Amino acid sequence: MLIIQQLVNGLMLGGVYVMVAVAFTLIIGMLNFLNFTIPALFMFAAVLMYATMMGHLPFGNDLILSVFGTEYRWVAGIIVALVVIALVSLVIERFTYRYMKAKYGDATEHALPLVSSLGFLIIFEHLVVSTWGSDPLTATSPFGQGTFSIDTIIFSVPQIVSLVLSLVVVVMLSVMLKATKLGRALRAIAERPDTAILMGVEVSRIVPVVYVITGLLCAVSGILFTINYATVDAYVGDTVATVAIAGMVLGGLGNVWGAIIGGLFIGMLEVMSIYIVGADFAKLPIWGLLLVLLVFKPTGLFGHTLIGKGKF
Amino acid sequence: MSGYIEAQLIILCLSIIYAYGIFLPAASGQLNLGAAGFITLGAYASAWFNASTGAELPMWLSIPLAMIFTGIIAFAISFPILRTRGVYMVLATFAFAEVVSGVAINLEFVGGAAGFPVDDHADVTVIVPVTIAVILFSFYFMSTRLGLSLRSIHDDESVATLFGVNVRTSKVVAFTVGAMLMSLGGSLYGHHYNYIEAQTFNVLLSIYILLYVLMGGTQTAWGPLIGATFFAVVPEALREIAESAGLKWLAEGRFILFGVFIVLLMVFRSEGVMTRTLQDRLGGGLFRRKKPIADDMAGGS
Amino acid sequence: MTEHLLEIAGMHKSFGGLKVIDDVSFNVRRGGRTALIGPNGAGKTTIFNLLTGVYPIDAGTITVDGQDITDVPPQDRVTVGMSRSFQNIRLMPHLSTVENVMLGQHARARKLGDLLFPLGMLPRNRWRQAAEEALENAGVGTYPGEIVSNLPYGVQKRIEVVRAMVSDPKLLLLDEPAAGLNKTETNQLQELLERVSDQGVTILVVEHDMQFVRDLCDYIVVLNFGRKIFEGTPDEVHKDPAVLEAYLGTDEDAAEAENAS
Repeated sequence: MLIIQQLVNGLMLGGVYVMVAVAFTLIIGMLNFLNFTIPALFMFAAVLMYATMMGHLPFGNDLILSVFGTEYRWVAGIIVALVVIALVSLVIERFTYRYMKAKYGDATEHALPLVSSLGFLIIFEHLVVSTWGSDPLTATSPFGQGTFSIDTIIFSVPQIVSLVLSLVVVVMLSVMLKATKLGRALRAIAERPDTAILMGVEVSRIVPVVYVITGLLCAVSGILFTINYATVDAYVGDTVATVAIAGMVLGGLGNVWGAIIGGLFIGMLEVMSIYIVGADFAKLPIWGLLLVLLVFKPTGLFGHTLIGKGKF
Repeated sequence: MSGYIEAQLIILCLSIIYAYGIFLPAASGQLNLGAAGFITLGAYASAWFNASTGAELPMWLSIPLAMIFTGIIAFAISFPILRTRGVYMVLATFAFAEVVSGVAINLEFVGGAAGFPVDDHADVTVIVPVTIAVILFSFYFMSTRLGLSLRSIHDDESVATLFGVNVRTSKVVAFTVGAMLMSLGGSLYGHHYNYIEAQTFNVLLSIYILLYVLMGGTQTAWGPLIGATFFAVVPEALREIAESAGLKWLAEGRFILFGVFIVLLMVFRSEGVMTRTLQDRLGGGLFRRKKPIADDMAGGS
Repeated sequence: MTEHLLEIAGMHKSFGGLKVIDDVSFNVRRGGRTALIGPNGAGKTTIFNLLTGVYPIDAGTITVDGQDITDVPPQDRVTVGMSRSFQNIRLMPHLSTVENVMLGQHARARKLGDLLFPLGMLPRNRWRQAAEEALENAGVGTYPGEIVSNLPYGVQKRIEVVRAMVSDPKLLLLDEPAAGLNKTETNQLQELLERVSDQGVTILVVEHDMQFVRDLCDYIVVLNFGRKIFEGTPDEVHKDPAVLEAYLGTDEDAAEAENAS
């Protein structure tokens, strides 16, 4: 029974990773670059959620308190985190993508956005450290510790809500990719960047949209993280990113559904292996498998890629 | 030399050695985010060759043996790793480093998760000369025809092939020699601090080393030297200055400035601080035999 | 010594079911200046890519100087004595002019000792001097602090020819060397190529500029839709009905050249 409990916990943990993994995979699929601002945005959203809920923002705490009251400050937290991250995403797009046009087509040009995104990671981590300190920040959950149990397996209500919510968000996203005009434009860019431009897809308008979408995915994920685990710090994004990257690779780069299954799988694997063999040992089989996949089967476990690998 | 300056100098030297290890493959366009893996291999191998529980060899033997050991592993994995390109290579090398770290943590005869004490001590009189040797070697390496081949592969692999460059061999050599340099840096780290644990060599270290190289520039052997020096010295110097001037916000927020600098550098000088053209212009006259021939076609389309 | 330096026999190539090169055979005379012409999409550049090994051929044989090179890997073909320039300039953007030319020497410097020779550290070594001389002979400067892709187009074209020449080829393949050049530049290029040819190098050139072809070349092979439709001297080519049909109304340049003659 304990094993099943661990499986459930793993699934819940995976629920947090899923959206981050999808964010990674979207950017790689669309723009062919490993975006290290994703962990930064995840962490920043989590910290903003904490700070708004606990009244620790650098300014505006009284205003929020007077509008929302103590009871509904978590609503304010969600709004603040989403709005700030969306705006920040637009700034990041400007500096990681817009100026990074390939000039010579040489082998390291694709790394330029990667470097800028690492710059942003450093900026955000130290922004948080210098504002809130480097110690763990603890929030009180607005929903208490609601749990229910089936047989002897305990489910936490906020965790279930998060898992369902993240799956709903991702399903909506993939429906959007399939059915809407914007989605078709996105896929056109991912699959055939040159043709997409010829067909009149306005790349310079679409790319910011991609950034905002991935930014919001990170933000929702970060908000849920604060609600569920209550403790955040400036480096919480790094761990989540490592696992999310693992999930993404497992599912195949650029494959949204692959990232979902990969993220959930890695979450469960992590919890299970910690339970069975200890955290340190778990690293070896997971990353060994990923290394083999990357080298011999770069499309991931599921073979087929929903949105292709492309660059402008 | 004061203890503080010496400690900073050691960090600078190790950063420079690591950076050259990443630079050699990067010069041919291969991005290696697995620095931590090769550093771990070097640190642990040298520590074990040196340890009383291991081979009990002196440091001057254990370090080269560790380099050979790392070289063999790097050579073996370079073939599968070099099948990958671009972001896949970044991820594959990253995965490799995680695997190495996972192995090191689980090997009880090198201390496992508790870390491993290292016997022989390497002080500044060892590390500085070795660093200078590494710098000179890298300058030599990049000035050879092999170095020229690597730079050609970086620019246009298929054209390099058509002019007779053996692309795969060149890449394997760069990857392996680079790994051996990182191994050297890792061994020196172990012998200087006399204690290693796999958790120290984490992804953040790999990221920073790759940043040194890409910010310094991958076109000339000056790049890693400039990048590593800048990264190791400037934040520390900023802290010193800020603290002595009483600017608390600057001391705390210097890394924010640093991040801003990275972002702006990529916008305004995306090929890194030192480029081939800048080097030529700075060294102009020194090696130039004659003025460029006046060209009557200069006005052509 | 065979009369023909390059012999292509029964060459076939398809990309995804589309026949790009369909049973093409022709020979290039040693020391000659042969032109390979044809309308856009006829497969001229593809033939260059097949000769240099960018893609493997589906069927047929390629023989250079009596040696069958059909299965020789691309990086070794240059050592057989074959070197090329590109339709779109493909100089290495981060290498200096001299370094670009030194890359061309690579075919002659593949021994370990040559690979480990510090070209960049010794300013007066023989490789560097040879590269600088080759540039000087072609009337190109060394432009030390410049980015090659910022140099004038005509200069870049000539650097490409120099780079191909320093590998000491028996056969020089030039892909549209005169494209985008003005009249003066074209004349200078022609002069350079004539000198190269006088040194005994065999030239095979793909070119649209018919005037240039007539002035430079002594033999012409015409391709259309991946098939050879004609080979002969420049005088005969205008009279050939198949060539006229392939060109008229499809390629304005050729039609103009036709009127001018």
